[in-house]
Amino acid sequence: MRLPWQKHSTPETRASLEPAHNEFAIEVNGLSKTFGDFTAVNSISLSVGHGEIFGFLGPNGSGKTTTIRMLCGVIAPSGGGARIMGYDVVTESERVRENIGYMSQKFSLFQDLTVDENLKFYAGIYGLSDEKFAERREYILTMADLHGRENEMAGDLSVGWKQRLALGCATIHEPKLIFLDEPTSGVDPTARRQFWELLHDLAASGVTLFVTTHYMDEATHCNRLAFIYRGDIIAEGTPAEVKGDLMRDTILRVEVDRGEDALTALEGSPGIAEAYMQGSMLHVNVGERTEAEADLTGLLGGLGFTVLGVEPVEPTLEDAFVHLVTRQREVSA
Amino acid sequence: MRRIYAIARKEFIHIVRDPRTMIAILIMPLLQLFLFAYAVSFDVKDLPTALLDQDQTSISRQYVDALKQSNYFTVKHNLVSSGEIDGIFDRGDARVVVVIGPGFGDSVAAGRAGAVQVLIDGSEPNSAQLGQAYANGLSRVFGTKAAISQAEASGMDPAQGGGLTARTRVWYNPEGKSASYLVPGLIVLLLTVMTVQQTANTLVSEKEQGTYEQLVVSPIHRIELMVGKIMPWAVMAALNVIMISVIGLLAFQIPFRGSVALFALASFLFVLCVLGLGLLVSARASSTEVANQLAMMISFLPAFMLSGFVFPLASIPPVLQGLSYLFPARYMTVVARTIFLKGGGWDVLWPEIAALAVYAVVVITLSSLLYRERS
Repeated sequence: MRLPWQKHSTPETRASLEPAHNEFAIEVNGLSKTFGDFTAVNSISLSVGHGEIFGFLGPNGSGKTTTIRMLCGVIAPSGGGARIMGYDVVTESERVRENIGYMSQKFSLFQDLTVDENLKFYAGIYGLSDEKFAERREYILTMADLHGRENEMAGDLSVGWKQRLALGCATIHEPKLIFLDEPTSGVDPTARRQFWELLHDLAASGVTLFVTTHYMDEATHCNRLAFIYRGDIIAEGTPAEVKGDLMRDTILRVEVDRGEDALTALEGSPGIAEAYMQGSMLHVNVGERTEAEADLTGLLGGLGFTVLGVEPVEPTLEDAFVHLVTRQREVSA
Repeated sequence: MRRIYAIARKEFIHIVRDPRTMIAILIMPLLQLFLFAYAVSFDVKDLPTALLDQDQTSISRQYVDALKQSNYFTVKHNLVSSGEIDGIFDRGDARVVVVIGPGFGDSVAAGRAGAVQVLIDGSEPNSAQLGQAYANGLSRVFGTKAAISQAEASGMDPAQGGGLTARTRVWYNPEGKSASYLVPGLIVLLLTVMTVQQTANTLVSEKEQGTYEQLVVSPIHRIELMVGKIMPWAVMAALNVIMISVIGLLAFQIPFRGSVALFALASFLFVLCVLGLGLLVSARASSTEVANQLAMMISFLPAFMLSGFVFPLASIPPVLQGLSYLFPARYMTVVARTIFLKGGGWDVLWPEIAALAVYAVVVITLSSLLYRERS
């Protein structure tokens, strides 16, 4: 078996492996998946250009993993279609699988195999030649900072190392497109930052990354984003575009005693577009009104709460997400 | 090929590196072999016996001596009246009571069969049955001897002596040694349990680890994955067959009268059957726990109860007999015993071997289909 990036391939095999058209790394058109009566993914469309870091965001159970599984050619869509690196996910699923890398939050390492044995196993699965493997092994050990740990059991590595080794295994065949399904969940902040640096390096070398996460702060690493909520894409664009119309609104961060009670009291109050907790702070969207701090302090004070501080903040992606979800609920209600 | 090799190689590492698996493969069969062959012996020896000799002649005493000399009976009590028999059984002092009636010596001396009453405690049917058989045999041999010496002395044809009755002979396993029929059956039992159990787990544990997810997004085909996964287990199973057979031959001196090649062929087919069963479980089970239980249900129980390993198939209820055709152990048990003990060849074993071949094809096809359906 030869893969497209392997040198010395004969002209015919190259021609047959050359994607039909290759404008986008990922092109999704009306893709749907239903399980019985339940619609997991509802006719979504999106496209991802080569070399982009595309963030696919949404709460758990919103359809992220189902979408990835369809895009990887593992499960068949119920409707619509998608092309990955030019290959159709239904009719050319094997080509799709040869041309992508995949890494999940489970890291997919064999705990009782050493670092080297894990690499060798995946090299075998992707049919790497011995020379190619030697080259990739060296690259991955350097990338993951695993030199000197080749013979340690994967199960004994710390989470950060496991994560980088998993990325190495998932990219051993140098795919031009990598799907990462919650790759940073359960990893400490330092390791997460290091991991994102690796992803940026990959993107800089022309690799397309499709990353799902529910960490909103990580979304800022992406060139473009899509928010998926209950199977629908409710926003798509650059982080700035996604914040879009929200940028006109004023978000007030309120420090108040009994935050949860204050939130309940505020919901549905006049002049309050949205209110929600973020950490221990209450975030209140007062729409396009300015100078609303005093009104809000008065309102909460009148309801018997002690306001310790109110200040306007830049809307974050999390604010944007809450805003979009609220709007979506209003639409469907 | 490369991908199959990669999978098989990885599986070998899993096997070799996990002490529990190694114990399950190497130590458990040995343990069970010795357990079954020694502890769960169905041989009856040294049955505690009580004697009531109401004849008290030299011939009756000869009979008692013959009884004492056999390994099967140990005379523990000498009774004086028939009234004591109940008490002996109730207290469990003896399992067998031999009563030599008055006139025994006279009948034998007169060339007629001497009557001996053998009472057996039926509460333990297996030893009871065997004890009865031994006692019958012994009496017959003794009767024959007495009749023959009588005939020689009077110049008569021994065949006309009343004591000469039909003699039964046990073929193939003349000593009635448990090991001889247990070891071939045990090979089948152990192979079934080990292979089904381990293959049932192999894919399920991969699912639990999350590595299965990674494999399905790789270009590997289902069939490559399955072949790669079962190959190491096929090798382990082959090693086990050889190990148990050799130990059976050397330590228990069981005979091997048939063709090694035919046995190897049948074992190979049988291993395919049980690997297929294991994969079937793997395709359906949601967790390793479920896989283990399911594996136990379709491996150990049928291989133990429905294979003829311990309970002769002819003596189990018809429904269960019908059920036994659904499990490969019944065919292989016949094959193993026939080859080991009788030296039977292709001419007698082809139905069983054909059944194994068909079974293997069906079960492996079925499990491949189930896998395809999953994804």
